[in-house]
Amino acid sequence: MGFLKRHPILVSVIFLFFAIQLFPLNFEEKQIGNPFSRFILTLAYYPQKFVFTLTKGVVDVWQNYINLIGVKEENERLKSEINKLRQEKFRLWEAELQNERLKKILEFKETSSYPVVTANVIAGSPSGLRSQVVIIDRGTEDGVNQGMPVTTYEGIVGRVFMVGSKSSEVILITDEISAVDAYIHRTRTRGIVKGTGDGCVMEYIEKKSDVNIGDKVISSGKDGFFPKGVVIGTVVGIDITGGFVRAQISPDVDLNSLEEVIVILKYSENMVLNE
Amino acid sequence: MNRIFSFIFLALLSFVFIILQTTLLSPIHFGLFYPDLNLILIVFLSLFSETKGGAIIALGNAYMTDVLSGYLFGIHTFSRLAVFTILKGFSENVYSQSKLAQGIAIFFSTIFSWFFIWAVLKMKTDIDFNISTGAVIAQGAINILVGFPIFWIIKKTHARIQT
Repeated sequence: MGFLKRHPILVSVIFLFFAIQLFPLNFEEKQIGNPFSRFILTLAYYPQKFVFTLTKGVVDVWQNYINLIGVKEENERLKSEINKLRQEKFRLWEAELQNERLKKILEFKETSSYPVVTANVIAGSPSGLRSQVVIIDRGTEDGVNQGMPVTTYEGIVGRVFMVGSKSSEVILITDEISAVDAYIHRTRTRGIVKGTGDGCVMEYIEKKSDVNIGDKVISSGKDGFFPKGVVIGTVVGIDITGGFVRAQISPDVDLNSLEEVIVILKYSENMVLNE
Repeated sequence: MNRIFSFIFLALLSFVFIILQTTLLSPIHFGLFYPDLNLILIVFLSLFSETKGGAIIALGNAYMTDVLSGYLFGIHTFSRLAVFTILKGFSENVYSQSKLAQGIAIFFSTIFSWFFIWAVLKMKTDIDFNISTGAVIAQGAINILVGFPIFWIIKKTHARIQT
């Protein structure tokens, strides 16, 4: 301890050296088989859930107080109905295009469906460096496993990163290590949607491809994580660099105010990260 | 006995700060303009706690920050321990009860912590470090504003527990 006090700068440089050496190049490897980290996740679950319940209760009481209860309920019902109708409309549009593409093919292959569990977002990352991480109140006890896709009714949210017995960490699609194999819904042009920390970009789109602002981007299902045809977002900008087009994507889900999410209980087929 | 009580109190406080930082004060709601309670606690530990116990609590706190932000054992653990070490070294030579010294310590820790993270990311990954110098300075200022009352509360509570 005396050495630490006498040579603080030297000790810090040693810490920097170790940090550089030990910093994970491969995040997937780091998350496997670390029971202590999972224990910490579970340890934090109860107080996080308590604070979540408490704040939710306070917010609910306040909202009910300041809003007319009947109007609020009606509003929520209508919002929910609009969301369902939007989803239904998009699904029909998608089905129509799919039908057109596949009518030349004799065999129609249905996309497989998976069981799901709903979860509350009870906490977020404590670090500004890695703010695109949320914690949900479902874990291995509910059948959640690492790599499972997380969505809402509006589209993709992210992927389960680390799982505790009662809670799990979810890496949002806007996180820099997130990558989703996707295509432009209108033209089926393929690319990879990567997180940038505060948004998403779709990369590796061929220069000759037809991509316009306003196009919807959906998952291709080819990365082994996300099911096919789930909405990711909308193209809001296009850059042409080198031989590829780079499209800026605005996620359809408001990832900064997530409350309830759906975990699709689908085991990942392979491991692909943006690294 | 006092040292054990002190250690238990600060360890519990560290856990409470982690929970507050992941729930009410999570950066997902505030962007970079959030008070970093855990960093403030580490500055407090380096200035006012005994070395061994303080280092253990700082290590535990930083490790939990890593786990709950998806980095596991890594970047926060080392950066926060480096902050603790440097401040502990300097705290021997400055009057740490001075408000000016405390303010400088909090501000410097914020800048140093982000610089440390930037250095590791720059050398090890191609992840863009999209946090501007202005935002880091702003966070330093927020940490000072929140740090002073937190220091005062911890000292008062700590004194009450010890009596």
